[in-house]
Amino acid sequence: MQREARIANYFLAVFGIISLTLLSLPLSGPVRVFKACLVYLSDPAAYRGAKGVEKIADVPDRIRGLLAADIENRLMREEVKEASWARAEAQALKAENERLRAVLGLKASPGYTSIWARVLERDPLHWYHSFMVDAGQKDGLALNAPVLGKGAEGLSVIGRVVEVRPRSSLVLLVTDELSSVAAHLSSSTVEGLAQGQGGARLIMNYLSEDASLTLGDLAYTSATSATFPPGILIGRVARVFPRDPFLTFQSVEISPALDSGRLSEVLILKRQGSP
Amino acid sequence: MSYILLFFSAMAAQWLWSSQFAFWGLAPQLLLVLTALVAAYRGPILAMCLGFFWGLFLDVSSPHLFGANALALTMVGYGTGSVRRQIDVTGAGSLSAVVFLMTWAYFLLLGVLGLVFMEGFLWIGWPSFLACPFYNVILVWVVAVAPPFIFLGKSRN
Repeated sequence: MQREARIANYFLAVFGIISLTLLSLPLSGPVRVFKACLVYLSDPAAYRGAKGVEKIADVPDRIRGLLAADIENRLMREEVKEASWARAEAQALKAENERLRAVLGLKASPGYTSIWARVLERDPLHWYHSFMVDAGQKDGLALNAPVLGKGAEGLSVIGRVVEVRPRSSLVLLVTDELSSVAAHLSSSTVEGLAQGQGGARLIMNYLSEDASLTLGDLAYTSATSATFPPGILIGRVARVFPRDPFLTFQSVEISPALDSGRLSEVLILKRQGSP
Repeated sequence: MSYILLFFSAMAAQWLWSSQFAFWGLAPQLLLVLTALVAAYRGPILAMCLGFFWGLFLDVSSPHLFGANALALTMVGYGTGSVRRQIDVTGAGSLSAVVFLMTWAYFLLLGVLGLVFMEGFLWIGWPSFLACPFYNVILVWVVAVAPPFIFLGKSRN
């Protein structure tokens, strides 16, 4: 037994030193590639989830690109599966909505189709005013078509088309002084008018005097908006102005949900029936 | 020859189980259980040798630290072997208790190695930390009647 214990101690020392050496040494590129590929082939679940790509951060670029593309592909397949169910559900709800509208004798809301367009150019002198997109009359765009952007919180308002050319269009941003959108806040049903200021933020005026306004409230387009479909996110309340005794309404400052300066693609809605 | 067969078949079984039959992401640690079993029945030296190379296999097939599992399974073999000198660990009850505690020790050692060699404690998550010891104990009872156990023999040397 004593002899066995002594030998075991030697073995522990040897294996311990080897293990600690392996732990201390940085792995060479080919070894990291081999390890990452082997793990990925044997158990792709190890790389699933949001932190999956982080685990291959130390793998050389080309292999990391391949693995990251496959991980992304798997995630997107799952998203597509979920989206197909959401789409079926939305279609069923739409059909139900139309049927109920018909029963109540309400006018049917206009349907929309959409088109993605790339942002072509921005005028540095009018950064918060407008930009050009690569879709125009030939793509079926019309004046005042709503322009949306996709961010982490889903679709949000970017602006509207104010000039249509054959293959391009000018989009007036909601942050422009000439822009205004009928909107409501998430915490209440009070409506107001979100108006561009020519800067990064909007001011939402005409909110009821009695409404309680809180920071972080979300502002959505209202059903009374002439341009935008209802329920599209505009932004978040960034500041509540103190009540002015000379005014009959309250105002808040809105921080747009998406920075239009970072967008490279936008979604433009076309009324159904337009070419 | 039988140990070589045990070595490779255990690796194949572990891979198959953890990648194909994991239940809610949880799979028993066959290699840890076998390391403890070998240490209990055949002594720490053989267990440490098997544990070290099984650990290397786990390290190659894991995205985390390279060498951590090798060290941890070596320690499991050594620890069980040390306990074996004090008490009889060949009984099902005592062996289950040893495997139960060794599982937690294994997780904690991996965590500490992460703290030393990575940016933070390598935490496996509460579900694994709480469920795996029980999973492993069940496996002890299953393996005790399986063919690998037969050639390990019931007698202590």
